[in-house]
Amino acid sequence: MKDLVTLELIRESLIAVVHEMRANIIHASFSSIIYEGHDFSCAILTPDGRQIAQSNDDHPIHIFAVPYSTREVARTFAGDIHEGDIFLHNDPYTGGTHLNDVLMLTPVFVGGHLVMFAAARCHWGDVGGMAAGSLSGQVREIIQEGMRVVPTRIAEKGVLNEAFLDLLFNNMRNPQERRGDFNTMLGTGRKAAVHVGRLFRRFGPETMLGGIEELIRRSDRQMRTRIAALPDGDYFAEGFVESDGHGGGPLVGRLKLSIRGEELIADLTGSSPQTNGPTNFGPAMARNSVGTMVKSFLDPRTPINHGSFMPIKVIAPEGSFLNARAPVPCGGMAEVKYMLDGVVAAALGQAVQEFMVGDNRGSANHTTIAGPNRRGDGMFILYEYPAGGTGASHGTDGSNVLRCFGEGDFNSIQSSEVVEFSNPIRIERCELREGSCGDGEFRGGLGLRRDYRLLSPQGTLSLLTDHNLIPPYGVKGGMSGGGNRFVVVRDGQEVQPSAVPGKVSDFPLKAGDIVRAETAGGGGWGDPLTRDPERVARDSRLGYITQAQAKARFGVVLLDGFKVDAGATRKEREQLRAQRVELALQLANTEEPKTARRMVPLAPQVAQRLGIRDGDMVELTNRRGPSVRGWARVSDEADGGSLRLGAAALALLDGKPGERIEVRVLRAMPL
Amino acid sequence: MKKERFLIGIDVGGTFTDVMCYELATNRLLTAKVPSLPGAQWRGVVEAIGALGIDKGAVTGFVHGTTIATNSLLERKGAKTGVVTTEGFRDVLEIGGTRRLIGGLFDIKFQRPPPLASREVRLEAPERIAADGSVLKAIDGFDFGPLVEHFRKNDVKAIAVCFLNAYVNDANERAAGAALRKLMPGTPISESAAVTRERGEFERFSTCVINSYLTPTMAAYLDTLTAALETAGVTAPVNIMGSNGGAMTLDNARGYVVNTFLSGPVGGVTGSVGICRLAGIDDCITFDMGGTSTDVALVHDLKPRISHSNQIEAHPLKVPQLDIHTIGAGGGSIVWMQPDGTLEIGPQSAGAVPGPACYQRGGTQPTISDANLILGRLPTERSLSGGLVLSKPLAEKAFQDLAKKIGADDIVRLADGALRIAVAKMAGAVREVSVHRGFDPRDFALVGFGGAGPMHAFNVAEELAIGRVVIPRFPGHLSALGQLLSDHRHDSVRAWGGRVGEIDPAAVARQFGEMQKQGEARLTADGFTRDGIQHQFSADVRYVGQSFTLAAPWQASDGSLQPLKEAFIRRHEETFGYADPHNDAEIVNLRVVSLGIVRKPILNFAPEESGDPLIEHHKVYFEGGWVECPIYNRARMAVGLELFGPMVIEESGGTSVVPPSWRIKVHPSGALICEHEGYE
Repeated sequence: MKDLVTLELIRESLIAVVHEMRANIIHASFSSIIYEGHDFSCAILTPDGRQIAQSNDDHPIHIFAVPYSTREVARTFAGDIHEGDIFLHNDPYTGGTHLNDVLMLTPVFVGGHLVMFAAARCHWGDVGGMAAGSLSGQVREIIQEGMRVVPTRIAEKGVLNEAFLDLLFNNMRNPQERRGDFNTMLGTGRKAAVHVGRLFRRFGPETMLGGIEELIRRSDRQMRTRIAALPDGDYFAEGFVESDGHGGGPLVGRLKLSIRGEELIADLTGSSPQTNGPTNFGPAMARNSVGTMVKSFLDPRTPINHGSFMPIKVIAPEGSFLNARAPVPCGGMAEVKYMLDGVVAAALGQAVQEFMVGDNRGSANHTTIAGPNRRGDGMFILYEYPAGGTGASHGTDGSNVLRCFGEGDFNSIQSSEVVEFSNPIRIERCELREGSCGDGEFRGGLGLRRDYRLLSPQGTLSLLTDHNLIPPYGVKGGMSGGGNRFVVVRDGQEVQPSAVPGKVSDFPLKAGDIVRAETAGGGGWGDPLTRDPERVARDSRLGYITQAQAKARFGVVLLDGFKVDAGATRKEREQLRAQRVELALQLANTEEPKTARRMVPLAPQVAQRLGIRDGDMVELTNRRGPSVRGWARVSDEADGGSLRLGAAALALLDGKPGERIEVRVLRAMPL
Repeated sequence: MKKERFLIGIDVGGTFTDVMCYELATNRLLTAKVPSLPGAQWRGVVEAIGALGIDKGAVTGFVHGTTIATNSLLERKGAKTGVVTTEGFRDVLEIGGTRRLIGGLFDIKFQRPPPLASREVRLEAPERIAADGSVLKAIDGFDFGPLVEHFRKNDVKAIAVCFLNAYVNDANERAAGAALRKLMPGTPISESAAVTRERGEFERFSTCVINSYLTPTMAAYLDTLTAALETAGVTAPVNIMGSNGGAMTLDNARGYVVNTFLSGPVGGVTGSVGICRLAGIDDCITFDMGGTSTDVALVHDLKPRISHSNQIEAHPLKVPQLDIHTIGAGGGSIVWMQPDGTLEIGPQSAGAVPGPACYQRGGTQPTISDANLILGRLPTERSLSGGLVLSKPLAEKAFQDLAKKIGADDIVRLADGALRIAVAKMAGAVREVSVHRGFDPRDFALVGFGGAGPMHAFNVAEELAIGRVVIPRFPGHLSALGQLLSDHRHDSVRAWGGRVGEIDPAAVARQFGEMQKQGEARLTADGFTRDGIQHQFSADVRYVGQSFTLAAPWQASDGSLQPLKEAFIRRHEETFGYADPHNDAEIVNLRVVSLGIVRKPILNFAPEESGDPLIEHHKVYFEGGWVECPIYNRARMAVGLELFGPMVIEESGGTSVVPPSWRIKVHPSGALICEHEGYE
């Protein structure tokens, strides 16, 4: 009993250290993306790199990768770590995320022994490379994304390696700001070490270390119990990164998720090979994604430590874009990670039906506008990563423009007044993107529309985004949300800043240009024709959708704009239902596709009814789970009444031969 | 002029309404306590004054702490509010920074709470101010008629005017406000820059909308209250406690409801400052523990810390408030088992009904109060204030049930464990206002009050190695006392500044001079004369390139900006672990606090009863064992009396539990000043 109390005290005290580190970083840092965006995380780890404490404000995308990096540091410097040493790391191939996320590890010593690491991983506004802000869509090798730091000792017994730091900062834009961020992390590590030292004195080293092991053991136990409560079985899902940035693509992430007793195995075999574009990630990230989703679906409430992830096994083939090796770029790791989150959620949702949820925006939406600053003594770099609408689930509409459940609670856009005060930019609109929700019995949230007008004589735009062409999926018959969309408006005309939507490096901007960011809506849940008409009326009254959209997309006829005409609605819905294209599933003897594209054979008359041509994207609705996406192969061999798919596709649909399912056009934005 | 006779402070809590009355002629303090009436706070106020048994016509000063603003917002009972805003920014309230703001990590079903102003009544007007204050599009000549028509049709009862960049130039906001007032006389209209003049549209718009949303409710409450007081014969002007720790006139409370959210809890902080001032203690942390929550605040140099960025649920509130940190753990908090088998306290509370198991009102779940009872820290023979008699068997039964679930066999150790976890949580709250803000709690005295504060203050102090604890006299009424000690206060801020190395110190002095004049004008309007007005000046400073700022004091006599810069560098090093000699500092905002000084009670105290303060001895559980322990009656403890722990001190409205190693002394103010023998 006394142990329970002590355990609780140890856990709370360590989380308090993390909170203190966070407050320190927010208040003293220099990158707006840290102090405004809160794009950083803190954690405490064991000397062998197991996670002990984080806070609920930290971002899983950073923090679940930190243990990997810490293990690499511990391995590289085994037996040679001393009091006063400090380590820096951002290398994606040894546990980093993308190069902008710089990790500082401060070893904590008590009585001459290394007892813990205090970790802070912060997104620096620029780490060098080809484009301002370092993240851009058309890179071909990691060298173009900035300075890569493999596990490196930057302070030895209290003495900083100034030569290394000079070299580092002199190869980054706005070096003064970078030094400020670096100093902030340094101060934070120091304070954390002092605080942890106090805790060891208070509890005694044995109680403290024993308590930590017990907390990890309990989290492991807890997660095993949760997994064991699920029926054993295999669940399949796949998702796409739409392009590698150079016109190739798409890349597919294929998942077989198996529940075996107390263990969960995520096998990503069959996913695309790595490419020379930015959408790859290193060895820490697939586990990061699976861990985040499993935590959300199975055990969202208890505090996190290493134990929560022990019963999870992840297989990510080396050399695939889900476990990349040098020298491919990894700047778009978040794009890949969010895609994979959606894939894992799709599989887990089939196992835990009450949490089946529409997809989120599927992209970090890195948006960087840069140019000469107003003082004329350097440059401004405005970096934002605007959120979109969140996915719907049973009983719950998605939220408009909000960080989703698997993300840290960051500001993804800055205050417009702060942007205008600090940069030669005027924000002309920042509003909901009407009509962008994924329809459903419960609909996804709306995305964002934000217009940035450049006031300086010239500037550049870089974008690294995804899900522009392949939007967030709906579930159980729910529709896709509107995809992300980024354009430049010049003299009133829309200009595409690159041949590949949403992936841009250093597009030259002129004074007066508007950069228009439109972010994705969340995926819908359930058949939109079963949505409560009163909810549709409310959405129309609020201007989320128009009266015409209420009729065309939900079959709800409104009088005077907001009053439901029940009779007309019934008729309209019957009609819309009758217009759907439904085909009977048949098992074909085809192999799993070797390429990323999943082909859907359709007869010409079916294609005509849908209004599509060969190669256009379609989706197959799935009453039990997420819609399955594919590319139409229009051929006379296909029969007009059935849909012949291979065993793997049937498994994705969890469908039986003979079952009728709806085929529909996949649009980047709902009509 | 009428002779001043009684000053009254009234604090309305969730369970009780506390009143404290000061008789000027005799320096006597009178207290009374009546049940609060939910939905009719004013009745508790009138009844509490009645319960004092004084001549109501002789009341000349009246300060009231009310939770109307907080309750109405949490219960969403404000008025339907319309917004007029800049083109393209209709959805600021619904987007903000895209943050969830209230948790939600790993929560698949998380939904953002709806904004206070619904989208169909958020309308755009053609206007635009640039970031440098220039007018890109003037609002003059715009016909508000159709907007007003739409608001009327939608039954809008209050309006917020929220324009981008109004913090630097509010001309368009003022023009729009004036036009709307003409068209909708009687409808409350707030303008964002008038409510708070800071950069950051989401926070400012949110603050403005909250103000409009709550104005009708607050106005109705204040009207009812003043009418009821008048009927009861109280003619003294009513003042309301403000969140910044100062009192405000009725008109100010009506116009700026956003400044009243902490109207209740600030009284305790002000009261603590008053006690500490008498005791010669400059730095303290206030620890106000009630039935469902605990409020903690830090006071440095006899000044409570102020926070300029606040949040109520998911609504940002950008007005200066005392930096009070609240956690959901109090005497009634329930002790329960988490899924992974560890113990947890609160935030669920048994409240007043059914109350802790020992209250004998039907509660069956174990609470912090039950744990205290099991450990011998609460009386079972004598009734508490309000005539409540506690049942030990019921408390034990509740803990036995929990012990069974957990697989523990000893309820005493379980109760002790529960208290230790509660104490750790409260220590966490103290850490939040101290360590997290760059202060070492060991440099502070802990002031314990509220119903449960004196019972846990010593344990919290020990948890943090704080060597000094102060228990004020009437710990259950300290908030009401604090209201009697509160000066009137106006805060003003200007987003003005530049790099310290580049700006002219005379320009800073000019800006402060203008702000001082404005503060003086407002207080003069409130009825203060010039010699009753004081001003405090400070600047928000940061290193060039940073965003967040630290406050540094400024004085007219400084001459240069060097003292300000040095103060900033010192604070930065203390707070963040480093200073940067190569970087210039930058002033971002100027702030002036203007105080209208009021007449205050003189707190010199004499015991109300004579006789031996020792009531009896009985066993109390301390640090792993039962100790035979003296029980004292506080009403009989004379000034100068010195005693050594362990002991329990009982009084109406609060029991102090003093562990071993503490020495207590009765101060002339009546407060117990307690020192730990073991710390430096």
